[in-house]
Amino acid sequence: MNSELAARAPTNWVSTEMTSRIAKRYAAERRFRLIGLFAVSLSAAFLAFLLYSMLAKGFAGLSLSFLTNSDATEASEVGIWGAFKGSLLTMIVTLGLAFPIGVLSAVYLEEYAPRNRWTDMIEVSINNLAAVPSIIFGLLGLAVFLNFMNLPRSAPLVGGMTLALMTMPVIVISGRNAIKSVPPSIRDAALGVGASRVQVVFHHVLPLALPGILTGTIIGMARALGETAPLLMIGMRAFIATPPTGITAPSSVLPVQIFLWSDEVDRAFIEKTSAAIIVLLVFLLAMNGLAIYLRNRFEQHW
Amino acid sequence: MTDNSLKMTARDVSVWYGDKQAINNVSIDIATEHVTAFIGPSGCGKSTFLRTLNRMNDTIASCKVGGKIELDGSDIYDPKMDVVQLRARVGMVFQKPNPFPKSIYENVAYGPRIHGLTKTKAELDALVEKYLTRAGLWNEVKDRLHESGTALSGGQQQRLCIARAIAVSPEVILMDEPCSALDPIATAKIEELIDELRGRYAIVMVTHNMQQAARVSQRTAFFHLGTMVEYGATSEIFQNPRETQTKDYITGRYG
Repeated sequence: MNSELAARAPTNWVSTEMTSRIAKRYAAERRFRLIGLFAVSLSAAFLAFLLYSMLAKGFAGLSLSFLTNSDATEASEVGIWGAFKGSLLTMIVTLGLAFPIGVLSAVYLEEYAPRNRWTDMIEVSINNLAAVPSIIFGLLGLAVFLNFMNLPRSAPLVGGMTLALMTMPVIVISGRNAIKSVPPSIRDAALGVGASRVQVVFHHVLPLALPGILTGTIIGMARALGETAPLLMIGMRAFIATPPTGITAPSSVLPVQIFLWSDEVDRAFIEKTSAAIIVLLVFLLAMNGLAIYLRNRFEQHW
Repeated sequence: MTDNSLKMTARDVSVWYGDKQAINNVSIDIATEHVTAFIGPSGCGKSTFLRTLNRMNDTIASCKVGGKIELDGSDIYDPKMDVVQLRARVGMVFQKPNPFPKSIYENVAYGPRIHGLTKTKAELDALVEKYLTRAGLWNEVKDRLHESGTALSGGQQQRLCIARAIAVSPEVILMDEPCSALDPIATAKIEELIDELRGRYAIVMVTHNMQQAARVSQRTAFFHLGTMVEYGATSEIFQNPRETQTKDYITGRYG
């Protein structure tokens, strides 16, 4: 073996054999770039098509009265304000419940919980919960919040509580990852000057993990905003012609309103449905914009 | 070493990570106003032992400590021992400079603030100036106290970490290879600083650099494979070691 190696001539890098090998590697790189470009254009094309068809159909439906009115029986009189306000109130309830509970769970699991069979089981359950179909959460909301706790039907309170159940696992998972990515040297430094564990968490770990937690939270919230099925289960599909006055008042939400209008026989509702989708997309865009702003605002560099 | 200069004592200390024993029956006395150096080849347990002295190893779930370590005569592994107070009294400087990603001022002010050492802003300002001065950093940073501590050079960051450690008035300072990430000039500054600080604190430092141990320490302990082979006055250890193992390491035969 050794003598064979020794007998071999040194590699001739300029021989045709070697240069064609190298040329093949460049060709593979070009192919890969083309495939990637194709994949990106495909998804971009779908998005462009969606935006185009919505704008083409719905732009005419967008007017001041559409933005300020609520649901009505006549297509010419309907507006999105009631559903928009309902979505806003629902999101506030969801955020108010899911964010603190989710972040505290993440902190406990990452910083305090011992690693044993119980915490493993909790971890698996939370990961599973994030993948449970949303209709199941709707059924849970119906059974627990409406039938057992007797909370009002069709209300943003119950809608928000149901969606909070759905959003919480997403916040826990992203929160744990964000906390895990805080360098241990920072914890050591704080412990080294005599900080207690709570001080380490609240003075150092959480502020550094905040951008990651906020990103996860807004992704979860954006998903909750577009959710329809669980809200149908808790009665948020009623015809409601006045904007909700509070979180216990009957209300509609944007995706359910879209679902209801898309079902109307009157063809004039097609325009209104598309206009409502535009409003929903703008709402989502605003939330994602906020996420990016907050992330950059709190990002620490070291 | 006289009795009243004795700050910390360790008796028959053993440390396990799970089933693996990292430290085997180490006994040592740490004197105040002295620099004690721990030397030895990589993986010999000197850093592990250092971290038992202020219970930083508590954060590692599998780590178990046997034997007895006392600070001014009280057992630091006693369940009644307040770990927060212990770590305030036994401060630590780490291998890689790890300033908080906050301003230079906040880095030094953090310890005094959480322990409530000052009452007014002016007092805190004075404290920050005092300890940055003592760490030899004040003149370099006095005009940019509110810039991030992570923007400083490596050597400055390490001196900031030392200022942060001494700002809570500890009695003992543990240093885990404080110069291993620094260039020779920054190292020289830190060594000078350690020599100045010696008058006020008991300093225990782990180092890979034997010249450093010889330059700055008064007492040296040589560790090998989890046991302490030899402990004595630095001059004795370097010029006239009792054990052949120590002699082999110091003359560069292994390690």
